Amino acid sequence: MAGGGGGGDGGEPEFQVAPMIDVLMVLLVFFMSITSAQVLKVDKNIQLPLAVHGKKRDDKAAAGLINISWDATTGQARYKLDDRELDPNDKEGIARELELRKGNNKEFRLLIRADKACHAKFISKALEWGAEAGIDNIAFSGLNNEL
Amino acid sequence: MAKNRTAGVINPDVGFQIAPMIDVVFVIMLFFMVMAGAVKVEHELKTTLPGNVETAQETEMPDELTIAVAENGQVSLNDEPISTPTDRDLTLLYQEMMRAKQNAESGKTKLLVTVQAEETARYERVINVLDILAKAEVSNVTFAVAEPE
Repeated sequence: MAGGGGGGDGGEPEFQVAPMIDVLMVLLVFFMSITSAQVLKVDKNIQLPLAVHGKKRDDKAAAGLINISWDATTGQARYKLDDRELDPNDKEGIARELELRKGNNKEFRLLIRADKACHAKFISKALEWGAEAGIDNIAFSGLNNEL
Repeated sequence: MAKNRTAGVINPDVGFQIAPMIDVVFVIMLFFMVMAGAVKVEHELKTTLPGNVETAQETEMPDELTIAVAENGQVSLNDEPISTPTDRDLTLLYQEMMRAKQNAESGKTKLLVTVQAEETARYERVINVLDILAKAEVSNVTFAVAEPE
């Protein structure tokens, strides 16, 4: 029993490389998975505000994702529905597309990812599109920390 | 000479080196550990659009509060300023929300909060207010932008 911890016959415990590599690999895979899965979702052009008390974003629930980036030089916002640029003047077209995505799903929500410097009136415009499409569940995105 | 060269080919030192591999794995793991600390997880704050009432059902009149967000970041509760424009913690607002929630629960009514921002108010400040409402666990929140007078 005394020699149980070591591998040598002389009773001196030896450093075992193989189990250490196993543990290292498991830790490596763990950190790789949590890092890559979450950082990639953040759009570089949009600086999200801080919302530490919000609930973690549910990516499985159906949602129309509107990205609103802010151009400080012109004082204007740019809208994207997922990756596609939107013309803010085409209210009916955007509402129609959101309506199609919504279908009969009453739980469908409009997820707004807007830059923290954006003015409220530009957010209001996106909400109008949602209202036009009959979507009344609105969720605003924020970050858990500012690092 | 040729014999020596052949001998070198026959016994090359190509055995698997465990020590440098462990070094590399440690460095990679250290990198991911540091990155994991800075992971940004997206949170969401849920609201509904104003005027979403099912008229077919009998509804109880809710306790309604209006939080206004001004262009300079000033937050007011029912037209009474409740913080300074730079106050991010909004402690007073949180306390008022907790009190209003308790009152609504004891009176068995619903607490409805409307966040009304000025057109040029920063979105960050609006989210700051919505975050405080999430902290106070106020679920019936609507967001609207005030029309200019």
